Amino acid sequence: MNTLTLASEAFGQMTLGHYLLLSGVLFALGLIGFLVRRNMIIMFLCTELMFQAAAIAFIAFDRYHGGTSGQVFVIFILTIAAAEAALALALVVLLYRRRATLDADAWTELSG
Amino acid sequence: MDQLTVFITCAIAAVGMYLLLAMRSRAGRLTGIIVGLAALFWLVIRLIGNGEVDGSPDPAAGGMPQPLFYVFALIAIGAGARMITHDRPVYSALYFVMVVMSTASIFLLLEAEFMAFALIIVYAGAILITYLFVLMLAHQAPTESEGEVTPEYDRIPHEPASAVAVGFLMLALIGQVVFQRPSAMPPQPGNEERLAAIAENVNILDKKRDAIIAAFSSGEVDLPEDVIVGEILGDRIIFIQQTNNVPREVTFAQAGLTQEEVMDLLPENIEEVGLALVYKFPVSLELAGVILLMAMFGAVVLARKQIELGEDEQRQAAGMQRLSEDVEEGGSI
Repeated sequence: MNTLTLASEAFGQMTLGHYLLLSGVLFALGLIGFLVRRNMIIMFLCTELMFQAAAIAFIAFDRYHGGTSGQVFVIFILTIAAAEAALALALVVLLYRRRATLDADAWTELSG
Repeated sequence: MDQLTVFITCAIAAVGMYLLLAMRSRAGRLTGIIVGLAALFWLVIRLIGNGEVDGSPDPAAGGMPQPLFYVFALIAIGAGARMITHDRPVYSALYFVMVVMSTASIFLLLEAEFMAFALIIVYAGAILITYLFVLMLAHQAPTESEGEVTPEYDRIPHEPASAVAVGFLMLALIGQVVFQRPSAMPPQPGNEERLAAIAENVNILDKKRDAIIAAFSSGEVDLPEDVIVGEILGDRIIFIQQTNNVPREVTFAQAGLTQEEVMDLLPENIEEVGLALVYKFPVSLELAGVILLMAMFGAVVLARKQIELGEDEQRQAAGMQRLSEDVEEGGSI
């Protein structure tokens, strides 16, 4: 038995909960990043981090319950993320041309 | 790990994250990193060795070594935390590429090879490159007196206390659900359900089905001609005759095949995903194409150069051609 097999026996079994916890931590990090940062492009990057977390959860459930529906849904997540990135970045570039800053606080008069 | 411990761990990690975000001094940030890592390692230690491995890992269950999961998970979490706290936006995008790479490695551990590489190609190769281009286009030139200073909106976080509280409260709730009923989480990858789902797909993929029937018809096993694959179990396959629905059970040993050889005959991950896309989700596939088309239209419309009002009149006064020809002027252009 090589080292990896010995190590894997020491580490215990992998449950679905491991992957869901990782997905939860990444989602919480993305959520915190979205609320904290003020650079518009980095805010969209943090939503992409939340997409990654959801993709991990989908693939984990897919592996633990058979079938391929989870992986197909992750393909659609990639599609939506690409479409959203294209349009969001186009809008951000337009906003940047207006105020010459990427600060989200420059647009506070849009609220309430 | 009971619920109180989950909340305490998340509270400690929240304090660490807040220190990392809000403190300007290097000592404060280092304290935050140490506290956050302490909470993370406490969680990892509680997760390791939570069950007993009986015997050798079953190769059909996809038993990739578990330590790799912890390696990739820690890389992903570290890169994610660095991404949301870094000053410079280009470095944030590059740390996100690191997150995508570790996510793709975790997909490989979960035996979803196509999704791993599709993620690398689409996310790291297309979406992130687009982000990097736009970041570099929107880079503000530094003023002459200050030199290279990152803008204020990048350096100072926006209400870190409430953001960290909200994020880690949500994480504590997720952790509570995961740790509350350990019996509800299957301890091993669901091999039986996986093989049952594969059996469905094999009957649709003609070549795979014929190959399996040919492999199992050798030797002393005598399969009738019109059989389909009924059920695939750990050490045998049940074939069903189509004419009279009579099941016929053949073990791997009877056909003279080892388990690895049979697993090689089954459809690969990319074949299953392709079949599922076209066979089970055709409408969604078409709608995804329409969404991409709409995104392309939207990007082209948004990126058009906006001609300001009155510019046409200015150009005409200067003797130049009009840019738009809506208004009839009578003269030739």
